[in-house]
Amino acid sequence: MAKAYNSYVKRDTFKENISPNVKIWPIFSYGLSAIIFPNIYLGLGLIVFLFILAFFSKLFKGFTKIMLGFGIPITLMLIFIHGFYGSKNETILYDFGPVQLGLEGVLHALKIVSSLLVFLGTFYIMNHTTYTGKLVASLTASGVNPKVGYLVLASLNVVPQMQRKLSVIQEAQTARGVETKGSLWHRFKVFVPLLGPVVLSSLTDAQERGMTLETRGFGIKNVKQTHYVEVFYTKTDKIIKYMLIGFFIVTLIITILMRLSVI
Amino acid sequence: MRIELISLGHVYPTGDEALKGVDLVIEGTEPVAIIGQNGAGKTTLVKHFNGILRPTSGQVLINGEDINNRSTAQWSRDVGYVFQNPDDQIFLETIRKEFEFGPKQIGMPEEKIKEQMDFVSELCLLKDKLDLHPFDLTLTEKKFCTIGSIIMMDPKVIIFDEPTCGQDVEGNKRLKNIVKTLQDMGKLCITISHDMKFVVENFRHVIVMCKGKVLLDGDSKEVFSQVDKLKQSFVSPPPITRVAQKAGFKETVFNIDEFMREFDNRKEK
Amino acid sequence: MREVVVKVEDLKFRYREGKKRALDGVSFEVFKGEFFCIIGANGSGKSTLCNALVGLVPYYFTGNKKGSVVIDGVDTDNSSIAELSQKIGLVFQNPFNQLSYTASNVAEELAYGLGNHGVPRDEMIKRVEYVAKLMRIDHILHKNPLELSGGQVQRVAFGSTFILEPNILVLDECTTQLDPLGSEEIFDIVKELNKTGITVIMVDHDMERVARCADRIMVLDKGKTVCIDTPDAIFSNPDIVNYNIEAPDYVSICKALKERGYYSGDYKITEEPTVEVVKEALVK
Repeated sequence: MAKAYNSYVKRDTFKENISPNVKIWPIFSYGLSAIIFPNIYLGLGLIVFLFILAFFSKLFKGFTKIMLGFGIPITLMLIFIHGFYGSKNETILYDFGPVQLGLEGVLHALKIVSSLLVFLGTFYIMNHTTYTGKLVASLTASGVNPKVGYLVLASLNVVPQMQRKLSVIQEAQTARGVETKGSLWHRFKVFVPLLGPVVLSSLTDAQERGMTLETRGFGIKNVKQTHYVEVFYTKTDKIIKYMLIGFFIVTLIITILMRLSVI
Repeated sequence: MRIELISLGHVYPTGDEALKGVDLVIEGTEPVAIIGQNGAGKTTLVKHFNGILRPTSGQVLINGEDINNRSTAQWSRDVGYVFQNPDDQIFLETIRKEFEFGPKQIGMPEEKIKEQMDFVSELCLLKDKLDLHPFDLTLTEKKFCTIGSIIMMDPKVIIFDEPTCGQDVEGNKRLKNIVKTLQDMGKLCITISHDMKFVVENFRHVIVMCKGKVLLDGDSKEVFSQVDKLKQSFVSPPPITRVAQKAGFKETVFNIDEFMREFDNRKEK
Repeated sequence: MREVVVKVEDLKFRYREGKKRALDGVSFEVFKGEFFCIIGANGSGKSTLCNALVGLVPYYFTGNKKGSVVIDGVDTDNSSIAELSQKIGLVFQNPFNQLSYTASNVAEELAYGLGNHGVPRDEMIKRVEYVAKLMRIDHILHKNPLELSGGQVQRVAFGSTFILEPNILVLDECTTQLDPLGSEEIFDIVKELNKTGITVIMVDHDMERVARCADRIMVLDKGKTVCIDTPDAIFSNPDIVNYNIEAPDYVSICKALKERGYYSGDYKITEEPTVEVVKEALVK
C-alpha cells in the first residue's frame, strides 16, 4: 500500500554500524572540501571514493543510477552555459562557428558538478545506510532541540505521504471517469490539477498531526526526551568523526597554501 | 444489471490472498448489503465491480461482458463507487465542482448536468451548501458530498463502502431515503456496512463474507436465522433479532411490529 | 463525597470563522473512576468539547472561549497541551491523523509519547510490550504504521494514547474503523481500565453500547447541556427523540409489552434483562 518512510534497508554493512550522528559529518566534510578546493581533482577523487564506498555498502546499483541520472544532464547543461557563454573563457577548445567552447568555462562547470555530486553522493549513502529514527534519536540525545529533530523526520516523510495520497485520489478519479492511462501528455494533464489539493490537504493533515504530537506530550518543558531506538556512540565513531574533521582542515590548509601560491 | 463472479480470486502484490474463489450473482434492482468482519474481503470484492482491482484469477462479468474489456474510467458510466474515506475522493474547491466533475468527464450534456444537480443536491440535503469548500463540511456531510458526486454520474449500479460510519440518527435516515430513491429509479445499490440495524431496515438481499469467501447469500431473514454460521463470521444480528432468538422465537424478526406479532403467535400456542 | 476530576463550568466557544457558538453553555462534573458518556446529534458540539478537555481548544482551534475547564485541579488555561497529556489522554476520530509520522514501526509509534515524557528506555520497552499485547497488536510491532489497515491503525492510536497512563481517557468515536467485534474488544479493554480506577469520558453513536457502559450520560444539543442522568433515566425519557437520539431497541420492546399489559416494570436498556422480561411475559 504505502511506501516506506525512508530508504533504509538493513544490509549489515560496516557503514550501518557507525553512529548516525557521525554520518552527518561526511556530508559537510567532503562537500565543503570539494567546494573550496581550487581545482576539480579533489572533487573527482572523492566521487571515485564514494563509488567504492557505495560498492562496499551494497548500494552500487542505486548509487550509480542516481549519480548518472543527475550527473549527466546537469553536466551537459552547465557545460553548455559556461563552456559557450562563460565570461572567463580564453582558451578555445573547439570552434563551432557561431559559438566557441572555452576551456575555463568547461572546468568551471565540472567544478560545480563535482561538488554537487559529492554532496548528493554522501547524502545518498548516509540516507540509505541510516535508519532515520535512529538518526533523530541520536541527534536529540547529543543535544539537538527535539523540534529540529521532528522537522528532519517530518520533512523526510512528507514525500512518501504525498505520493500515497496522490495514488489514492487518482484511484478515486478513475472511478469517476478519468482515464489515467494513455500518453505522457495526457497523464500529465490529469496529474497536475491534483497537486494543489494534495499539498493543501497534506498541510491540514500536518495541523492535525501537530495536535496529536502535543496531546502525546511533545514539547513538554523540563523533561529530557528519551528514545525507544537505541542510541550509541563508540570509540570508533569518535575516531571517524575526528578523521573527517581532520580531512576538512587539511584540505583547508592546502587550499590556502595553493591560493597563496606557496605550493 | 447483472454482476456475475466466477471463482473470483484476488492476491495483492504483498502476497495477501484477499479473495479465495468467490462465485456470486447479483441481479435486478433489489438493494444488496455485504457484511462481515474487517479483512473478510468486502472492499476487495466490490472494487472488482468497476475494475479498480482486476481479478488475479477467475472472472467478473458485468451484463455478460468481461471486466477486463474496459478501463475503470469507461466502466464508471455504468458502475459508481463511493469510497469509504471521503478525503480519498474529494479534491475540488466547492461541492458544486465536485458534483460536476464526474459528469463532465463522461461527457454528460450541460442540460442533464443541471437537472442532476437539482435532484442530487436535494436528495443529499446539500442544496444550501453547494458553494462551500468541502473543508467546511463535517465528516458526515463530506460523506454525502462523495455519495452525491457519484449519483450525479447517473450510473446503473452504485456501490457504497461503509456509508453508515459515524452517522447519527438523522444521517441514517438520509441514507435510507437515498437507497430507497435509487431503487425506485431502477438502480442497483450495493452497500458494505457494519451497522446491522441499518442493514435489516433497508436490505432484503444480504451477503455475508468471511475470510475471502461468501459464507451466506440470500434473503435477510434467512441469513440472520443462521446463528451458528453468523457466529463463525463474527456477525451479530441487530438487538431486536437477538432478543427474539434468545427468547426462543422461531421466526426471525427485525422490527418491533414483527417482534410483537411473533410474540402473540407464541402466546396463543 | 466523590472526588471530582473534571469540572466544566458554563463553557462557551465560538470558532474564529464560525457564525454560531459550537459550545453554548456546557456545565458538568465527572467523578474519579466514573464512566461518563456524551451523546447528541452530529454537530451538537461533542468533538469540540472533547478538544476543550485536553486543551486543543483554544490552543489549536482558536476562537472565543468563555467559562472554565478544570482537569484534576488544573485550569486548562494555565497549562500547555503537553503538560495536560500527563493527566488526560484523547483518542480521536481519524486514527490516521493520530500517527506521529516519526516512527518507522508500530513499536516506536507506541513509544513516541513515552519519549516525550522522558520515560527511561527499559521501562518503555516493558510498557510497549504490555500495551501491544493488550491491544492485540503484538504481531504487527515491526510493521510500518503507514501500511496498516484502518482497524489496526485505530488500535495503535488507542494504544499510543493510553500507554502514557493518563488518569482520564477521552474517547471521541474512536472505533469507527473497526468492525463490531473489534469495537467490542476495545470497549472490553476500556471497561477493564475503568475498573482499575481510570476515568473514562466517551462519545459514541452506538446507544446499545452507551447504555451498557455508562455510569452517567450527558445529552448535548446545539452546544448546550440538555440533561445529565443515569442511562435508565435518559433512555426511558420519551423526549430524547427531540435531540435526534434513539433509545436502544430494548426500550421499545419493554414499551410494547407494557402497552399490552404483559409487563409492568422499568424499561430495560440492555440485552439480558430484556430477554428475561420477554420470557416472563411469554409464560404469564
